[in-house]
Amino acid sequence: MPSSQTPPAGATALDPTAVRPDIADARIVRVMPAGVRSTLEGLRADGFTMLLDLGAVDYLEREPARFDVVYHLLRLPDRPAGVDEIGTPERVRVLCGVPSDAVTVPTVTDLWASADWAEREVFDLFGIRFEGHPDLRRIQMPDDWEGHPLRKDYPLRGVARERTPRPSFALKSNVAAGTPAAGRTAAGLQKQIAEVRRLADAHAAADLAATGDGKQP
Amino acid sequence: MAVANSGADFLLTTVDSVARWAQSSSVWPLTMGLACCAIEMMTATAPEYDIARFGSEVFRASPRQADLMIVSGRVARKMGPIVKRLYDQMADPKWVISMGACASSGGVFDNYAIVQGVDTIIPVDVYVPGCPPTPDGLLYAVNLIQQQIKRGGRGGILARA
Amino acid sequence: MSVSGGPQAVALDVIERSEGRMVLSMGPQHPSTHGVLQVITEIQGETVTKASPEIGYLHTGIEKSAENLFWSQASTVIERMDYLSPLTNALCYYLAVEKLLGIDATIPPRAQAVRVLLAELSRIASHCVWLGTGGIDLGALTGFFYCFDLRERILDLFEASGGARMHPNYIRVGGLAQDLPHGFLAKLDGVIEMYEPRMRDVRRLLQKNPILQDRMIDVGIISAEEAVGWGLTGPCLRAAGIGYDVRRAFPYSGYENYAFDVITRTESDAYARFLVRLDEMDEAMRIVRQVRKVLDEPGPVQSPDTKFSPPPKETIALSMEALIHHFKLVSESFRVPPGDVYQAVEGPRGELGYYVVSNGDNRPWRVRTRPPSMYNLQVLKKIAIGELIADMVVMIGSLDPVFGEVDR
Repeated sequence: MPSSQTPPAGATALDPTAVRPDIADARIVRVMPAGVRSTLEGLRADGFTMLLDLGAVDYLEREPARFDVVYHLLRLPDRPAGVDEIGTPERVRVLCGVPSDAVTVPTVTDLWASADWAEREVFDLFGIRFEGHPDLRRIQMPDDWEGHPLRKDYPLRGVARERTPRPSFALKSNVAAGTPAAGRTAAGLQKQIAEVRRLADAHAAADLAATGDGKQP
Repeated sequence: MAVANSGADFLLTTVDSVARWAQSSSVWPLTMGLACCAIEMMTATAPEYDIARFGSEVFRASPRQADLMIVSGRVARKMGPIVKRLYDQMADPKWVISMGACASSGGVFDNYAIVQGVDTIIPVDVYVPGCPPTPDGLLYAVNLIQQQIKRGGRGGILARA
Repeated sequence: MSVSGGPQAVALDVIERSEGRMVLSMGPQHPSTHGVLQVITEIQGETVTKASPEIGYLHTGIEKSAENLFWSQASTVIERMDYLSPLTNALCYYLAVEKLLGIDATIPPRAQAVRVLLAELSRIASHCVWLGTGGIDLGALTGFFYCFDLRERILDLFEASGGARMHPNYIRVGGLAQDLPHGFLAKLDGVIEMYEPRMRDVRRLLQKNPILQDRMIDVGIISAEEAVGWGLTGPCLRAAGIGYDVRRAFPYSGYENYAFDVITRTESDAYARFLVRLDEMDEAMRIVRQVRKVLDEPGPVQSPDTKFSPPPKETIALSMEALIHHFKLVSESFRVPPGDVYQAVEGPRGELGYYVVSNGDNRPWRVRTRPPSMYNLQVLKKIAIGELIADMVVMIGSLDPVFGEVDR
């Protein structure tokens, strides 16, 4: 696990969607990929004419589904209608649990044209494939990019730079805060720098020894 | 670089200094607006700051016609090759201002997607700190470029690439 | 002949001509694409037969960066998405966080009023840029100068209150970073006074301008049904006749207290979007005037819950508890209870939404943006077909994309 994504200390929830507070922001529907198509077709027929957004979340160690593909729908009239007629439209949030990137999710580009780029972006940044999408290729990253950056096991600084040294003040352990004021001397700083250099060299040597073929983590 | 060798070059150096005066007084930037800094760059052309009074009367869209590339904004990894290509397409003599923290060093974005400083791709003459820098900062950078041209460095008719 | 395979390979190096057909790569560096957009157009003579916008040239990894920063630090990168109205991004993000924290009911009215003020001023400032650059695209330079001058006065206000012209990071969890400074209201009065004559001049220059009308009327038409299917929101949707405005449908931050009209038109061409945005600027100023009256009364600008918003500065030297709260907030930030929430605001470009997921930690687990510009821009694929290549610039301008938001 890259250093920038180490799990936090303290109580954390593996599935935030299961323990969410009582906020009335949308009606929430949870499905699995097998049932997502029928659910969304039903909602579309029920008047949810706008797919506001299609995104994904990586929950890493959650069972049974590591990823969530999240559909935000809005019930709007699809002909000219004044603000009073629209009132407070209903929102629906469909959460589709995707166990891994081996499972494909059916596309909804035939139901809502807005899904086109959104599904490409989910594929690009998470690696989830959408079956039936007319043109599933990367959209944000360059075409020859390897890896899916928004996954939790993808390092923040990218694979190439993950092991390069960072200035001591940027280390998440917040070294300076733990040092008493009297102890912050030039010699102490030199020691910190030397320690960081030693760690970086050790990591570089370990990398070289472990993966001579530059495989992804 | 233009060098005055001896008194025999008097005529040429005079012409050269005239040429440098002309070049520094009419630095035309390339429209290399990438992100938030681009908006402040546009504001530098607006009446409050008016970059035109320093000679940058027009911003040229074509790199063939521009002298100065103001890299204004974060350079994404996908955009990097294009910035390089545009720099290569510019005719000599040319200068580069790296405007803002992101162009100078990657800024707030120390991550997979941003080039950590455009000077890893192209040579930079002046760096402008800020996120975004005020248009005043950009104007000062243009002034520094003008001083660089007049002092020596690239520019003049005796310039070599 | 059609575009296939990697678009860069095709477009950047190859221009194919065949029977008057051409594949033209417009961008990513182009004076009129409003940012780093590449549109690979196939044209037959002058008519566009296919348009493929390629985005990602400003992909910044903002959402990934936000996952590695504290909740209150994440807004610094989130503000840099829609960089024409940064405070709107921060407002939406913090509204979401406040909902997860359960303190959304404790935001004091003065803080809410200032948030509305800043959001509407951001809307006007953003539309100033759209209007100015839209005019430049068509050769109308004077409008640019007038609009940017008005924008300068608004940026003055952002600098006075938050410390920076763009990206002031002034809206914080629980309210504002600090109260409005002395002299702010006088400056605001100056802006309010300047607005009307300035916009009258701008309208006189542009609105009935025959060249502008010629270039914008009947260009880039989209039907209401298609607009909804393509996920358009904001002025693009309202110009198609659908009066959906998040400020009216799902009021936030006290918008229900202010009177304003939701502007709609039915022609749904570039000119209609142009008129909708112009009128929206006027409605925004109408809200600003109403908020101005509220701001005369003093009041707190931060939620009293000091677990999340820092205690008043003057108490830190006197109260141990205040000192500890402040120290904890700065060194490790607060923790947000686990959960997910979707919060939307009406940004200048449409419905800006954040789907924020917390796993109980002091950093966001996921901040998914609902980027209005991306969905608005996507429709270019559809509306460009059959138009002239010169209209491409008009259509992109009328959709008003901001690439910090499209690419994030």
